[in-house]
Amino acid sequence: MSLKDCYNFDDFRKLAKRNLPAPIFHYIDGGSDDEATLRRNTEAFSKCDLVPSILTSVGEPDMTTEVFGEKIKMPLFLSPTAMQRLYHYDGDKASARAAEKLGTFYSMSTMATTSIEEISNVSGGPKMFQLYIHKDKGLTDNLIDRCKRSGFKAMCLTVDTVVAGNRERDHRWGFTTPPKLTLKSLLSFATHPMWSINYLTHEKFQLANVSHFTKKGSSIAKGVMEYINEQYDPKMNWQDAEYCIKRWGGPFAIKGVMSVEDAKRAVEIGASAIMLSNHGGRQLDGSRSPFDQLPAIAEAVGGKLEIILDGGVRRGTHVLKALSLGATACSFGKGYLFALGAGGQKGVEALLQRMHDEIRRDMILLGCKTIKDLKKTNIAYR
Amino acid sequence: MGLKDCHNFSDFRKLAKRKLPSPIFHYIDGAADDEVTYQRNTEAFNEVDLVPNVLRGVENVDLSTTIFGKKLDLPFYCSPTALQRLFHYQGERAVGKAAQKFNTMFGVSSLATVSVEEISSMIDTPKLFQFYYHKDKGLNNAIVERVKAAKFDVMALTVDTITGGNRERDLRTGFTSPPKLTLSSLISFAIKPMWGINYVTRGKFELPHLQDHVKEGTSTATSVGNYFSTMLDQSMNWKDAENLCSKWGGHFALKGVMSVEDAKRAVDIGCTGIMVSNHGGRQLDGARSPFDQLAEIVDAVGDKVDVICEGGIQRGTHMLKALSMGAKACAGGRLYLYALAAAGQKGVERALNQYRVELERDMKLMGCTKISDLSRKNLRFRK
Repeated sequence: MSLKDCYNFDDFRKLAKRNLPAPIFHYIDGGSDDEATLRRNTEAFSKCDLVPSILTSVGEPDMTTEVFGEKIKMPLFLSPTAMQRLYHYDGDKASARAAEKLGTFYSMSTMATTSIEEISNVSGGPKMFQLYIHKDKGLTDNLIDRCKRSGFKAMCLTVDTVVAGNRERDHRWGFTTPPKLTLKSLLSFATHPMWSINYLTHEKFQLANVSHFTKKGSSIAKGVMEYINEQYDPKMNWQDAEYCIKRWGGPFAIKGVMSVEDAKRAVEIGASAIMLSNHGGRQLDGSRSPFDQLPAIAEAVGGKLEIILDGGVRRGTHVLKALSLGATACSFGKGYLFALGAGGQKGVEALLQRMHDEIRRDMILLGCKTIKDLKKTNIAYR
Repeated sequence: MGLKDCHNFSDFRKLAKRKLPSPIFHYIDGAADDEVTYQRNTEAFNEVDLVPNVLRGVENVDLSTTIFGKKLDLPFYCSPTALQRLFHYQGERAVGKAAQKFNTMFGVSSLATVSVEEISSMIDTPKLFQFYYHKDKGLNNAIVERVKAAKFDVMALTVDTITGGNRERDLRTGFTSPPKLTLSSLISFAIKPMWGINYVTRGKFELPHLQDHVKEGTSTATSVGNYFSTMLDQSMNWKDAENLCSKWGGHFALKGVMSVEDAKRAVDIGCTGIMVSNHGGRQLDGARSPFDQLAEIVDAVGDKVDVICEGGIQRGTHMLKALSMGAKACAGGRLYLYALAAAGQKGVERALNQYRVELERDMKLMGCTKISDLSRKNLRFRK
């Protein structure tokens, strides 16, 4: 099996599973508790159907979407994800270059393994930075200021990780960053020698944006979850979010908003966007899926800020359904991470190209010429 | 597989399965008829989603809750379950001490294998006694007096076991109390020698609340279903419940109320609480799940009595959903029984701690710092 055999999410996932040591694969693949929310995020899209319009002289559809003040070539972009160099030695560089090539946003996590400055040098495409509020306020300010200097276009603040989710696959596999060899995982690393050789022969693994502030997660084996619980500030509140928005001064999203009440509050404090997300089913299991919650959110704050649907997106039709119900754009994490694990930059490009082609084909089949043509009338609930 | 590999309900179940002779494991694990209600009890929680609130500053979470006038550190407690010394030689001693450690309520069954007097001298945290209404009125009176003397805090009359449920796994495995060796169960007891050694060497099997009055269950082997059918009083009615309530004179609950009508009637006869329960799916198969029924009950009587949601709970998020719906607390039997079978007191403590940690984490992720912050605004039902 190789990249050319990968036609969809499941194929990329399968190839990533072959390439990656098990603890690392399961860190991407898993959710919290019983993974009920993880499954529902995707299943939710199947609860409604698309209703096409015919004979609309659709021609070549225009997929251009404006989000965070930037025109992107398709209504789907890369969500911020941590520690990409565990999945491929090129890590964030691969993702950023692939996103630039397909004309969409790349997003960088606070917990990225490549620095803000370095990514800025390798990709001129539109970039968003994802912020966690650390207990150390100096670190938060430092990250915002560096992103400004490095030409990032947008920033998002993650608000659904005040405490780490219960990711039981990580307990079972002993997943830590950087990877620690346990008896059980040793076998898995040994049977994926290419991964191990690449990991050891490329530059040293580190959380490049925060390593000068904290040794956690870089020089000692530390679970990601422990990092979250020790470093992130659980007292974080709306004033802190407002502070970040002001200091940043550009397009700003609150990531992890789910309730209508909070969405309205995001408008009030001056956010330009919300990312409707439950962190890919990795935090509060049993929480509502973004797609299930979308109509209520769109009704309350649609038009007042941009609504990004983040979670469960696997197909072009998922993106079209979300846009029909009022999302400005969609973003995804697992999809491109498996592609990254499957084949680095080439893998992410291949996946984005597939998603691009799916969205284009599905728009034609739906009879929609532009993103604006996608409306509630295209959707029927069962 | 050891205790440290147990991260959730199904891990404890797996370990219990390894440790127990199969008739005993299946007695805990099984339910009535096709076990449809048993499955539904847990599945019901998946039909509703949690909608969190963000940026609320949630550093410290207070999980304490007050039921039956007692403040518990946790919003869940150990339901009364029968025959605990069959599951682990420490039996009720283990569960009681674990409950005390977490300052939550310990429910003791009429069919307990350790006496109320011993439990009372062992722990000083809140205790509930579960009452089966027997045909033998002398037995009923004697039990009420003993439980009073032992200074228990709450009496709960079970009303859903008027006859034994059809527990087909017990028919197949030949499970009885005390355990009886049949040809088919012999192998199962033989391949779990540690259980057998403990059972034989750790003190005689007893039902201290019943054995002075009836032979069944101790010197005469009987199935639990058969015990209910032959020993309990099928003519029990509201008048009997009311009399028992006033005879007891303290906090009194009916366990196994499912209809709104009955919930209201429970208020009328002087109950201070009800357990919405179908006996863990072990009695009437096809019965509605407690969580599905909870909203109606809370709307009808939630401001008058403590409504406890019991059944199907396997996760902190299940408890969050029940509490958001309006339950005052949650309770469960299998919740801690697999853990008891897996490792005695240590097992129960690990299980209770895991639920505590889950709840605390889930409260933070919901943006709530105390139980009273939870409301139906946090829930959305799927269409």
